[in-house]
Amino acid sequence: MGVLTQLVQNLRQRISRPLRYYYDICARCGACIDACHFYSYSRDPAHIPAYRVMLAKRLTEGGNGSNGLARWYRDLGMIDGRTVEELEKAMWECTGCRRCAVFCPFDLDTALMISAGRYTLLQEGVGPEMIAEIGNAEVSKGEIIDMIKDFYLEQVKSLEARLQEEFASDLQIPVEKEGARVLYVPLVGEHAIVPAAKIFYAAGEDWTMSLFTATNHSFFVGDMAKAKQAARWIVEEAKRLGVKVIAYPECGHASRLLLSFFDGWFGEEIADIERVNILQLVAGYLQEGKIRVRPGTFDVPLTYHDPCNLGRNGGMFEEPRLLIQSVATDFRELTPNRELNWCCGGGGGLVAAPEMKEVRMKAGRKKVEQIQRTGAKWVVTACENCKAQLRDLNEHYELGVEIKGVIDLVADALIL
Amino acid sequence: MEAVAFLFYYITPYIAVAVFFGGIGYRLYRWWRRPPVTAHLSLYPRPRGRAGRLLDALVDLFTLRGLLRVNKPLWIGGFIMHMGLLFILIGHIRAFTDFYFLWDLLQWGKEQQHQFSAVAGTIAGVLFTVPLFYLLGRRWSGPVKWLSTPEDHFLLFLLIAIALTGFHMRLLTQVEIEELHTFFRGLATFRWQPAPVTTGTAFIYHFAFVQILMLYFPFSKLMHTIGGVFSKMVARS
Repeated sequence: MGVLTQLVQNLRQRISRPLRYYYDICARCGACIDACHFYSYSRDPAHIPAYRVMLAKRLTEGGNGSNGLARWYRDLGMIDGRTVEELEKAMWECTGCRRCAVFCPFDLDTALMISAGRYTLLQEGVGPEMIAEIGNAEVSKGEIIDMIKDFYLEQVKSLEARLQEEFASDLQIPVEKEGARVLYVPLVGEHAIVPAAKIFYAAGEDWTMSLFTATNHSFFVGDMAKAKQAARWIVEEAKRLGVKVIAYPECGHASRLLLSFFDGWFGEEIADIERVNILQLVAGYLQEGKIRVRPGTFDVPLTYHDPCNLGRNGGMFEEPRLLIQSVATDFRELTPNRELNWCCGGGGGLVAAPEMKEVRMKAGRKKVEQIQRTGAKWVVTACENCKAQLRDLNEHYELGVEIKGVIDLVADALIL
Repeated sequence: MEAVAFLFYYITPYIAVAVFFGGIGYRLYRWWRRPPVTAHLSLYPRPRGRAGRLLDALVDLFTLRGLLRVNKPLWIGGFIMHMGLLFILIGHIRAFTDFYFLWDLLQWGKEQQHQFSAVAGTIAGVLFTVPLFYLLGRRWSGPVKWLSTPEDHFLLFLLIAIALTGFHMRLLTQVEIEELHTFFRGLATFRWQPAPVTTGTAFIYHFAFVQILMLYFPFSKLMHTIGGVFSKMVARS
């Protein structure tokens, strides 16, 4: 019981103003029941978004998770082993996609509560600690950056040499270039660097690459202090180099942090630095005529999966469609799409937790059905998490599709 | 029985009003006391500017258009019930004062006013009450039963009780609204007037149930009337 008391106290401390009124106003109308891809396969109440809210409320307020009246019957809501089990399921078997927030008549942001709940549970060792470990590594990277810098620069140089041979002899991948206009923050691995480098080259952009990566796993486990620290390395780098724009790669959660959290975290510090996702940047190049692409480069039937954090949580609905349609002939929409798109089932850091694989495959069923209905051969998306999950789904359900990034398509269709 | 009726006519209304407003204030304070989130919750599509967000939130809340897209049966139930409630609340202004301006404009006499109220009131009452039974039925079947707590049932039963006693007065008695005016003005000015008699006994039940609703309102999920606007404003920020 001691552990549980500590857990309750920790959770109470994380109750922010919106969470406080979410507790009070959720009418338990059930509109969110049909929103959740976890519930769609499990039919388990712990996967219903409103039930997740009730669980958290039951824990911090006592009673049965509703208001006033019923809290007299305290024994209705006794916290026992089963509650903790349900709570673990409710907090971890969620991708934080916020499809339920779109369904909710009051737009209750369940992910805000999941974030608080996860942080609290992990402090008691309940949940996939792997995700938190990766988050810690991202925080400490800033402290040891000088030790690994040379190795990194060497790697970039060899990649640059290869691209000069394959693509354009005067292509450059600048790192830590002072006074550059755009700071591009990549992901681990060259797949997030190569297409971007080609596009920047074609657009004649004055860019430089960050020493850090955009990913921020602390955000997935609700550890906002660490998430902020990991983001701070990038902000400091941007200030040091004097860039005008910070551009994030095809990565959902990191882009959400950049676009929606940086203001609150860093405020004035970065007020004069524009923050964009690479899709926005590249769509801008195309519209301004800075890059040209061959229309109809790809004539395979393809579809676009709106990543939650770029779509309903980031407002990038039209940019990817513009880019895809400018290079492909047979574009097919998933139904539903845009803000009502089904989550791929891999978000919220679940892709990084091996023990969540089975759950992920089940949660992806809705996505699989959606893709199959279009008859598309390629599934294009713009989020690393989604790509990893879609690849797993492709293998698991033998879909026979290829998973592509939006900027991969653009880079392969560039006219130099 | 006399004493209980006296209590509900002349004493508890003051408590109900005090608790209603005081309780809402207390709730708002409890919300305000917690730290706000610094992030933009950024749910898209997102209207521009604070005024745009407020307008959007109000349009959404009054039309429930989001719900219409994703859950039509619930939209029909929820929307019609709320619209019925809105008409009923407007109609109840007549219990305290009257639409003198409107009647003058239409040049309607007493008989016409009565007829209009009877028809409009009955329709609004049906719009309000029938969906309540649907919403109650939902709570007993399907996955919504996992989300149903005594609070939900209590509120639905209370609203149904209020509606039925209201129907009783509307359909089975001939209410003289001047009597109600006198009574409520008496309450408001602390110069108690005799309780209405043309309403029959239904009035005291109706009045008592409404007071219970007012007492419970600030401590129930009905706070979504206020919190819903906040929530939508923040979510689309």
